[in-house]
Amino acid sequence: MNNDAVKKITFRVQRFDPEKDRKPHFQEFTVPVKRGTTVMEGLLYIKENLDSSLAFRTSCRMGVCGSCGMLINEYPHLACHTQVEEFHSDKLTLKPLPNMAIIKDLVPKLDTLFEHHKSVKPYIIREDKEEMEKPTAGYLQKPQQLDEYLQFTYCIKCGLCIAACPTSASDKAFLGPQALGQAYRYCADSRDEGQDFRYAIVEKDHAVWNCHFAAACSEACPKGVDPALGIQLLRKGVAAKALGIKKTAAPATLATPPALAKPKIDVPEFTVEPK
Amino acid sequence: MADKGPHQNYLGMWGWVWGGNYKLERYLYLLHRITGLGLLLFGLFHLTVTTIFRVQGEAIWSSTISFLDNPLFRVGEFLVVAAFSYHALNGLRLIIQELGFALGKPVPPIYPFTDAIRRKRAWTLVTLAAIMVLAVAFFIDFTVRGWG
Amino acid sequence: MKNTYLQISQMITGALVAVLLAIHITVQQWFVVLGLLGIKVADPTTWGSMMERAHQGSWVGIYIALLAFGLFHALNGFRNILLEINLSALAIRILTGFIIAFGVIFLILGTYAPIALFSSYR
Repeated sequence: MNNDAVKKITFRVQRFDPEKDRKPHFQEFTVPVKRGTTVMEGLLYIKENLDSSLAFRTSCRMGVCGSCGMLINEYPHLACHTQVEEFHSDKLTLKPLPNMAIIKDLVPKLDTLFEHHKSVKPYIIREDKEEMEKPTAGYLQKPQQLDEYLQFTYCIKCGLCIAACPTSASDKAFLGPQALGQAYRYCADSRDEGQDFRYAIVEKDHAVWNCHFAAACSEACPKGVDPALGIQLLRKGVAAKALGIKKTAAPATLATPPALAKPKIDVPEFTVEPK
Repeated sequence: MADKGPHQNYLGMWGWVWGGNYKLERYLYLLHRITGLGLLLFGLFHLTVTTIFRVQGEAIWSSTISFLDNPLFRVGEFLVVAAFSYHALNGLRLIIQELGFALGKPVPPIYPFTDAIRRKRAWTLVTLAAIMVLAVAFFIDFTVRGWG
Repeated sequence: MKNTYLQISQMITGALVAVLLAIHITVQQWFVVLGLLGIKVADPTTWGSMMERAHQGSWVGIYIALLAFGLFHALNGFRNILLEINLSALAIRILTGFIIAFGVIFLILGTYAPIALFSSYR
């Protein structure tokens, strides 16, 4: 395609207005696209020129914020880093992500995703509460220890993996690939001591053992996180712990602050009391 | 204004069958589930035949066997052994990989992204090849003995 | 730990059933292929051949082990599927009860036949 050549593409968009509609329906728009036009730009064109009532989420427009996940031609994509040209088709079908509720049009309700994410305690847990509240130094970690979990830190919570997961399709209580992948991310972190808490959570019904390794989550992930791998490695840990053969390394130690260097400016006091 | 609230968009059990244009592994999952349920149903039928009819002596046993010896049941029997070959070998692969073996280590996500199961797809393909070989061998066996 | 032990059992029984059922199916279904390999066996579905195996302790052992492991693997697998279709906790408990009762009945029924045939051996 010539850089400036404009082509007309039909966007077949699923519409649903909770105040008017009983169930979703489709509406077609003709959108001019050229080389490099993303699906998101097409949607913005519709909103600006054709129908301002169209609802979709967008923020960063560069694949970082995880707002614009949607089904494009029956496959979950981030609209912002998917170009119209990729599909080699004159018609694109856009639907909201399945396996969650629809708020309006292409806007899925991500509440369950965030609740499940929170439920696996996605933060470093240390037994030394004092150090956690008022840190005095960083924790030492080798590059090899970082590699154990680095891949899983790239999760942007867009929900594409949940749209792809067959267990999430039928089981509303299933924690889902996102939360389970993040549970592994923190369990594999050498600075963390919260493994037992998380194992107790992921071992319950509707959690780690309800994954059947269809691996559609890893296929769909726009950030290369591979949640399916995280879940299998998490399972390895959970099973090894249950059988009493799990090796646990001592958690990372505090780095001694350099004696000679001084901070250039003082760390300011809290002006607002943390709740 | 009556707000009816969000519309539930779960694919439900249909989502097991089809959720989008995914690759091989998602359909291996589906086949594993279908063959498992099929084998469960057959197992119950088989148990009933081999217990209730078998303990009643030779006459009843032989008449049951001759009743079952028709093309319909022979094709069913072939499907059962083919389903067993699939469920057993794919199951052994799943046992190994679901415990995190034969998947390799996490890698930094550098574009174009890959994932563990597809980096190690050779294992899946070897399993599928073995299943195909078994299914063909059973097919030959059934053909030599006749389909009923 | 309940789910983890159940799933580890599911994997172990799965592997055992795969091996035992492979033996069972090889003998029952593969006698043409075995014949080509030079191993001659009689039609295993005939009464005589069946009784011959029913009177060997090792076969009785294989059948009962296959039955027990197979029932556990199949019914636990079925329950796992039921857990994924949004049933209420009460429904799951009732169904689990049914599944256990069902398994026990089939276990008794299935163990009775080989033992009865084995003990009829003179």
